[in-house]
Amino acid sequence: MADGIVDLSTTGSSGPLGPPASGGAAAHSIDLVKTYGKGAAEVAALAGVTVSFEAARFTAVMGPSGSGKSTLMHCMAGLDAPNSGRTYVGEQDLAKLDDRGLTQLRRDRIGFVFQAFNLVPTLTAAENITLPMDLARRRVDRDWFEYLVGELGIADWLSQRPSELSGGQQQRTACARALLSRPGLVFADEPTGNLDSNASAETLAFLRLSVSELGQTVVMVTHDSLAATFADRVVFMADGRLVAELASPTAGSVLAQMRELRH
Amino acid sequence: MWRVTVKGLLARKLRLALTAVSIVLGVTFITGTLVITDTLNSTLSSLFGSVYQRVDFQVQAPGVLKIPESVLGRVRAVPGVAYAAGGVSGYARFVAHDGNPISTGIEPAEGLAWVPAPALSAHQLVAGGAPTNPHDVVMDQATAKRYHFAVGDPVRVLLPGGEETFRISGIAGFVGAGDVPGATFASFSLPTAQKLFGAVGQLYTIDVLTRPGVNKQLVRQDIARLLPTGIQVVSGRTVAEQQASSAAQSVAPLTTVLLVFGLIALVVGAFTIFNTFSIIVGQRTRELALLRVVGAGRGQLLGSVLLEALLVATVASLVGLGLGVLAALGLEALLNALGVPLPSGPLVFEPATAAAGLGVGVIATLVAAVGPAWRAVRIPAVAALSAQTEEPESGSKRRILPGGVLAVLGLGTLGLGLGHASLATVGVGALGISVGGAMLAPGVARPFSSAIGTPLSRLLGISGHLGQVNAMRSPRRTAHSASALFVGLALVSAVSVIGASLAQAATSSVDNAIRADLIVSSSSGTLGPGVAREVSALPHVSSSCLAYGADFEVRGSTVALKGICTSDLAANVILRIVAGAAVPALSRGELLVDATTARTQHLRVGSLVSVSFPEAEHATIRVGGIFQPNALIGGYLVGDRFFQTHFPGQLPGAVLVSADRGYAGIVDEEVNRAVASNPNLTVQTRGQFEAAQTAAVDQALGLVYVLLALAVIIAFIGVANTLLLSVFERVRELGLLRAVGMQRRQVRVMVRAEAVIVALFGAIAGVVVGTGLGAAFTVALSRQQAATAVVVPYESLVVFLVIAILLGLAAASWPARRAARLDVLGAIGVE
Repeated sequence: MADGIVDLSTTGSSGPLGPPASGGAAAHSIDLVKTYGKGAAEVAALAGVTVSFEAARFTAVMGPSGSGKSTLMHCMAGLDAPNSGRTYVGEQDLAKLDDRGLTQLRRDRIGFVFQAFNLVPTLTAAENITLPMDLARRRVDRDWFEYLVGELGIADWLSQRPSELSGGQQQRTACARALLSRPGLVFADEPTGNLDSNASAETLAFLRLSVSELGQTVVMVTHDSLAATFADRVVFMADGRLVAELASPTAGSVLAQMRELRH
Repeated sequence: MWRVTVKGLLARKLRLALTAVSIVLGVTFITGTLVITDTLNSTLSSLFGSVYQRVDFQVQAPGVLKIPESVLGRVRAVPGVAYAAGGVSGYARFVAHDGNPISTGIEPAEGLAWVPAPALSAHQLVAGGAPTNPHDVVMDQATAKRYHFAVGDPVRVLLPGGEETFRISGIAGFVGAGDVPGATFASFSLPTAQKLFGAVGQLYTIDVLTRPGVNKQLVRQDIARLLPTGIQVVSGRTVAEQQASSAAQSVAPLTTVLLVFGLIALVVGAFTIFNTFSIIVGQRTRELALLRVVGAGRGQLLGSVLLEALLVATVASLVGLGLGVLAALGLEALLNALGVPLPSGPLVFEPATAAAGLGVGVIATLVAAVGPAWRAVRIPAVAALSAQTEEPESGSKRRILPGGVLAVLGLGTLGLGLGHASLATVGVGALGISVGGAMLAPGVARPFSSAIGTPLSRLLGISGHLGQVNAMRSPRRTAHSASALFVGLALVSAVSVIGASLAQAATSSVDNAIRADLIVSSSSGTLGPGVAREVSALPHVSSSCLAYGADFEVRGSTVALKGICTSDLAANVILRIVAGAAVPALSRGELLVDATTARTQHLRVGSLVSVSFPEAEHATIRVGGIFQPNALIGGYLVGDRFFQTHFPGQLPGAVLVSADRGYAGIVDEEVNRAVASNPNLTVQTRGQFEAAQTAAVDQALGLVYVLLALAVIIAFIGVANTLLLSVFERVRELGLLRAVGMQRRQVRVMVRAEAVIVALFGAIAGVVVGTGLGAAFTVALSRQQAATAVVVPYESLVVFLVIAILLGLAAASWPARRAARLDVLGAIGVE
């Protein structure tokens, strides 16, 4: 385990807790329904979504505000419970897990990169990166840690607190945290929403690299069409449904699809 | 958006409730203390004030003097005197139907002589008649009602000379006051009272009522002219004042403790209110900034925040006032349960109490609100809108310099006080150190939390580490939370050091007090005439020794004098002579004093002391020896023969009994059997006697501990309050932690770790400072009065720290549960 990124990448996608071997889905959902409110005020955030996120692929979820893309991510990450339908991470049916099991799943098998407030303000960057491992009381693989911080260019800021880091540095720290435990799946929720174009590009390039070079699975919720072009595949949502899909997206094809959705 | 609004509102409501809780607690504390103090004072002053309002003059014998009875006839013969009545009083305690002596709040139980003239009497018959023969007694209305006695009933009465049975000739109440609960009296005919209280042919007082229309001053002069030297005449008002002040003095230690307690309550309550309000206003910084952006002026915002504070404070203070009255009832019950019986009257709720409770609650809240509110409205609106809702960290540094100066000044004053043996100066120094220490607290909170938290992080992993950094993130908040604890635990520790030192001093004087196996004493102060003879005649008693006690005057002030057997002294009493001699000096009729008295009175062997005895004799007596402090004897000791010549007819107060070797147990049983019929008598083994001496210190300490414990608990409620608010403030962070895999259990551990760090911060600082202050007080006390070595009760101090940890955990339980149950999605900010 000491040497070789290639080696690490394979264990990352086929460990005991990892997703099934390549070709399978890292996560999938069947007929997900999620509603908020009651009676006349009832709003369907998800109106029967069946989707699969393939392992070792970079999938972007796009759609206008209120289309249900964040709710989909929350349900699939075990942060929210759907009213009906099934969600799987790997082979694990999330409905069969209690709070403790779901927490453990998020900790060990899912990495998160949020739009903002990604880091615990009282912990240093290094402590934030190792947080899920520390919570699990697992030993941090130092080589993997060094590789990630080197690749992300944050080695010099490891002892700083989040308030002393720029937005881009914070986001890259969050990426390191998301990948450190070699999760089967990384969820990125508008990871570039608060960043300038330079920092956005750096963050997206790293997510892209984690898929291409490290065999990671990334699902990114975004409404930035430029961000979506980093993905292998883009799924489009509107009114709680999957409405379209693009493989090998380009800026032009994504924009065209979004324009279509608004009409 | 709707969900967030509702949640925000709910959270806001809870925050409001939390502020209110801290105000309610503070006001409850203060009100309860004031109500109970007022009740105590009013009961006592209605008791003693009304009694003497009808008397024009009273002839008094100051100190230990008594008035020859012949004076009464001569006073009656003075022109203008309508009535004159002689007074004698002493110990008299009724025995209830169940055989138990009746004990009330006011000690000693009073027996007195019935005043036959209704115009002059403080008492008024409500049933039956005056006592006319030696077997009659008048019982007070309250006792009769409570213990079901009626006119004509026989009743046993414990008296200085033993127990006697009387017939209730009448039942009386206080003129104008009816029955005053707690004030019991047994009234006998004058000759009977004189006989019972060892004053045959003598009077303690003569109450005088003049005829209407006479010149009272002339009558007074006439009376004064015929009095023997040393006897004086004073006005009725003076008597009432004397009585009230002596009554007030008898409860002064208690009222002082209660008031100090109230002050501590105030400080602790104010800390809590202040902390809560600064957090709440701090959290509203963003909201206030938004209002600024849309056009509200700074003054308007400040006004609205203060108005809100005023409303909350007023409502909460009113609730606190109500609860305070309930607390007073509870406190009264508590004190009774602790063996500190109070004269129970109807609860007194003075307007001043309402004013104090409301004033403290409202002012503390406004003061607490104004600082944070001012800070909040002064921040540029745009900066506030984008800022994190963390408390700004200015100010903590500003307080370090004055805090340090104050602490150093306090330390200096303390040193000065120690040098001059002045308790008051030491007290001022202690106050300076405490306040200065509290001001310094924010400066040291960070390193302190870091130091305490490091082992916790090791033990609890990342959850412990997060607790540690949370405790460090806002040193001011941590310091404020801990300050209330600091004050409480500093006091508890100081009291325990002083208490342990005093108890040690008491024990060492007890250990060295008696050699006898048994000591027989009486609750009335004296044994019956036959008791000593009967006990010493029992088989296997090797020797016995009589001890007498009475008051006499030394250099003009009344002090207790003991008389002791000279024949079997060494077998029964341990007298460690440090100068002069024991038995030879006592036999010569010389005075022995203990080392403490010798030092404070500047006496040496050979010193001549002017003293006076009850029969108005003045004498000069030589100091023949100095002994180490002895719990049995006290400051002044003479031989039994000398004692009897100056206190003729005085009965012994105790008899010490030594058994033949190996027969101590048997003799104990025999003596107990011999005195079983007399409930007044107590038989103690040497061990029991020693335990009883320290029991008094323990009981006083117990009371102080209970009161301080309440203050400490209030402080912990403050900690819980602050923690809960912190949890609300860190909602997003908690959501993030839960999202990336923190288990609920780990969230709880994190919050508890923070609580324990805050608790330990306050507790350790409090225990360290308190121990130092306690030691300083003990040294000052030792210089001023009895020599007392400083004893640090390490076990107790460790127990305090453990209790602080446990209470910290208890304080964290609700906030921890709250934090663990947090909805992750709501927390990470879903639209």
